[in-house]
Amino acid sequence: MSKAHEHDHDNRSDISLRVKAVESLLIEKGLLDPAAIDKLVDAYEHKIGPHNGARVVARAWSDPSYKQRLLKDGTAAIAELGFTGIQGEDMVVVENTSGVHNMVVCTLCSCYPWPTLGLPPNWYKAAPYRSRAVIDPRGVIEEFGLKIPESTEVRVWDSNAELRYLVLPERPAGTEGLDEAALAKLVTRDSMIGVGLPLSPDRGTE
Amino acid sequence: MNGIHDLGGRHGMGPIDIDPEQPIFHADWERRMFGMFILAFAGGHFNIDQFRAAIEKMKPAEYLESDYYEHWLYSLETWCKANGSLTDEEIENRMRKLSKGAA
Amino acid sequence: MPTMFAAAGVDDLIKTGGSCRVNADVKARFVPGDKIVARNINPVSHTRLPQYVRGKHGTVERDHGVFVFPDTNAVLKGERPQHVYSVMFTARELWGPQAPEKDKVYIDLWDDYMDPAG
Repeated sequence: MSKAHEHDHDNRSDISLRVKAVESLLIEKGLLDPAAIDKLVDAYEHKIGPHNGARVVARAWSDPSYKQRLLKDGTAAIAELGFTGIQGEDMVVVENTSGVHNMVVCTLCSCYPWPTLGLPPNWYKAAPYRSRAVIDPRGVIEEFGLKIPESTEVRVWDSNAELRYLVLPERPAGTEGLDEAALAKLVTRDSMIGVGLPLSPDRGTE
Repeated sequence: MNGIHDLGGRHGMGPIDIDPEQPIFHADWERRMFGMFILAFAGGHFNIDQFRAAIEKMKPAEYLESDYYEHWLYSLETWCKANGSLTDEEIENRMRKLSKGAA
Repeated sequence: MPTMFAAAGVDDLIKTGGSCRVNADVKARFVPGDKIVARNINPVSHTRLPQYVRGKHGTVERDHGVFVFPDTNAVLKGERPQHVYSVMFTARELWGPQAPEKDKVYIDLWDDYMDPAG
């Protein structure tokens, strides 16, 4: 391995410089279109995010037949709302119930359902979560501030293949009158990963 | 391979750094690296399995200590060097040139 | 040879992605309900069978369909399309009798990662 590679690790400005160098070389060689990078960044920084998944969840809470379709064929049901594409080509949705709590991890790298949740947070991609989620899910969830009762079954889904997983949280109590838009505001990213629960309506979302 | 990336069940990896306010990209180089990976993939430099396989060959300590998108740079460089698109010398020369320009 | 992917194609790329599903009529070796044991393979090359599952006993829950096999695809030895299954392992099977009794880990295993359990 080159010395420059080893030094990257020591000096943060080196990594920025190295990425610039690689990008500029690939552009010059006609292998990279910088405008394409700009478009991709814009999409994933400003457009695609957990608000998409929240709409899927809100629809499932509001429409029992949609929920059935979602659990049977996540890809097709999510596509009904238009959230298709990179790292979401093959979706599985897993449902939390009073007896079951689901949690998603990728122990081998960082696989995550981009079209519904956007890009993953750093903690999801790092060693502490990836290592502990499969062996101590209750301990991990507790670090996020949630205690799962002993009587509840915890299911951890390791996204080691090309299926991407989304947790369908339980609909919170006291939300009977709410429309889909209001319901979607209660659905947090962490509740769709399985390290949290949705917000309750009285706590408010303003 | 039985590499360090195969983390399921390991102990001692430290606390989970939850950081609720974290941005999607922490620095501009991350943005560029993110875009470059996707475009290199779409342009046929590697398939997804090759991409991951290269990351798995990082030195274990570097894998654990580096920022996430450094893994992607490592893999991109691996494949660009393998197919002749880039060399270490070119990269280092360009880095020198860019840092002189910035001075 | 690698080519340049142009900005004009980005919107479509994002929306379409690139599924690893293969439209091939490949026989499934397992069906939901089957008891399996994950193979104890230790390739030096790429695999998506994590160490924590090897040699462990699980139950096939769902057949996801046919996908590219990463172990061969990573080294350009072919796509070797085969069924991928959601397989359930109890926490106790993976981590021992101290693990919570009710808990489970579900992982996606390719046909080539499993043998029928006796």
